[in-house]
This record gives sequence, C-alpha cells and structure tokens, in this order.
Amino acid sequence: MRASAAQKVDPAHATLWARHYPGHDMIGTRTFGFWLYMLTDAMVYAALFASLGVLSHVVNLAGGPSPSAFINPVYAYGETITLFLSVLIYGYSMVALKNGNHSGVIGSMFAAMLLGMVYLVIAGIDIREMFAQGIIPEASGFLSIFFTIIIYHALHIIVGVVWMLVMMIQVAREGFSANVVYRLINLRLFWHFQAVIWVFVFTFVYLQGMVV
Amino acid sequence: MTEHTQNPLNHPEVQLANGRAYLVSFILSMLLTTAGLWLAITHITTPFGTVLVTSFLAGAVVVIQGYFILHMDISHAQIWHTVAMVLFLPLFVVTIGLTAWMFHGLYQRTMLMPPGASDMAQMSHPPHERTPS
Repeated sequence: MRASAAQKVDPAHATLWARHYPGHDMIGTRTFGFWLYMLTDAMVYAALFASLGVLSHVVNLAGGPSPSAFINPVYAYGETITLFLSVLIYGYSMVALKNGNHSGVIGSMFAAMLLGMVYLVIAGIDIREMFAQGIIPEASGFLSIFFTIIIYHALHIIVGVVWMLVMMIQVAREGFSANVVYRLINLRLFWHFQAVIWVFVFTFVYLQGMVV
Repeated sequence: MTEHTQNPLNHPEVQLANGRAYLVSFILSMLLTTAGLWLAITHITTPFGTVLVTSFLAGAVVVIQGYFILHMDISHAQIWHTVAMVLFLPLFVVTIGLTAWMFHGLYQRTMLMPPGASDMAQMSHPPHERTPS
C-alpha cells in the first residue's frame, strides 16, 4: 500500500525521533495560553457590547437621562490620552527588556503604571460626578450596561496597575529569568489589549452615546 | 529555537519589541480618535453619518494597534496568536450581530414605543398594506 514511501526510507538509517530535542518552548507556550485567555476576555466584552446595542434602544431609557445629556467627552478624551501613552511607554519597557536593560524596564514600567493610575483617577472623577447628578446604574437598563462596561474596563486597568507593581519587584529581585520574562510578555499582551478594548469603549459608549 | 533556552531575552517574542512601531501606533491612534471626537462634538455630519464614520475610525485604529503593538502578523513567532484571533472573529460577529438583529426585530413586535420613536411609523401599518418597494 505504501510501497513508494517504504522505498524512499531506508530502515537502517531512518530517524524516528529528534536526537537533539530543541527544548520545550516554555515562554511561547505560556504566552500563547495567556493570549487565548485574553481572547475569552474579549468574548466577555463582546457580550457586554451586544447588551449595550440592545439596551441603547429608546425603550430602555425608562424615563431616565439619555447618554447625550450627561456624557462629558473631556474625561473620556483624557482617559484615551493617558491609556495610549501608558501603552506606548510600556512598549518602551519591552524595548529595554530586549536590550537587557534592568533600570530601563523598571523605569518605563513605573511611568506606565503612574499613567494607569492617572487614568483611574479621571475615570473615578467622571463616575463620581455622574453619581452626584443622580445618574446611577439602577436608574435604567441603559445606565446599567453603561456603568457595567466602563467599570469592567476600569477593573482591568486596576489589575494591570497592580500587575506592573508586582513585575517591577520581580525584575528587581530575580532579574530576567525565564519566569519573569514570560510574565512581562503576558503583561504586555494584557496591557496592550486594554488599549484596543478602550477604542471600542470610547467609540461605542462615549462618542456614539453623545450623538444618539 | 535552541538558543533561547540559554537566555530568555533571545526568545523571539522578546526580540519583536519595536519602539518605532509603538510610536507610530500611538500617533495614528491619537489622530484618529481625536478626529472621531471632533466629529461627535461639532455635529457637522448627520447623527447616522457620525455613527458610521466613528465606527470606521475605530476599526482603523484597532487594525493599526493590532498590527503595530499586538504584533498580529504571520511571522514564525506570532502566527498562532494571529490564527487564534482570526478564529475568534466569527464569534464576535455572531455574538454582537445576531443579538442586535434578534432584539431589533423583537422590540418592533413586542414593545410599546414611546411617542416620537421612529419605529412608530412602521408599526402603524401592517405589512400587507405597505407598498412594495
């Protein structure tokens, strides 16, 4: 049946296994696993944005304010600037990692973490002002999904800020061991993914909320 | 693949860091989101036009960020990340698109529209009375 294949391979010299095992790619395996996890997180966001689409219908305002009445684009734009800047500076931290520069990695990560904190302060002021005006999640179906999305995104930023703090300590203590390096790459995937998600939040929650 | 077992910094996913690409992504993202914000504030287009253009701008920013900072490309180190992302795309489309489509029809058939809602005009005429288009 497989005569043609058998003729080509001389059993006496056939290589049935790799004699020089290249090594388990621990870093690549773990970053890929984490990337799959981030994509499932994106599915949660997809469900939230589907809910936003459904609950943006006028019947779900339930007599409450429409988004164009209370959205303050200044805060949303400030969050955009700080988050994109933070992502850029975290990218420079990864360039420092490529060059084996300890102080570069820690310094850039510290700046990225501070910008993440500025983001959280702006988001906190924004949410507090809305609450002070009586714009609260339980007022209507639309406001429920509105606050769910922006608070869910802010929770991700909190996780990222804490994670950066942990990684700065780990880099200072362990240097660039394989474990620290894969965690830095995972944090890069996580943090840069938040910028992509923010593009959707900014556009579909804030900008289009101001128009409709 | 053997060399990075010695030094984790030689791993291809460390080596793909590119400061210039991150800067390009930042500048383009800021320009496009600023353009979207300007459209939404000035109201120079119709509401539907603004929704359409800001959606298009968001798509452009996501593609730019996906390529320049998430490294979604077909290089040896990143191809499986890209494949996984592409396989998730239909799930996003189904989750958001089918939900929106289903509820759009459901609202028209089940909800009492408040006065002034645009769907009222269609609801007042049963389908068989509409003129064929």
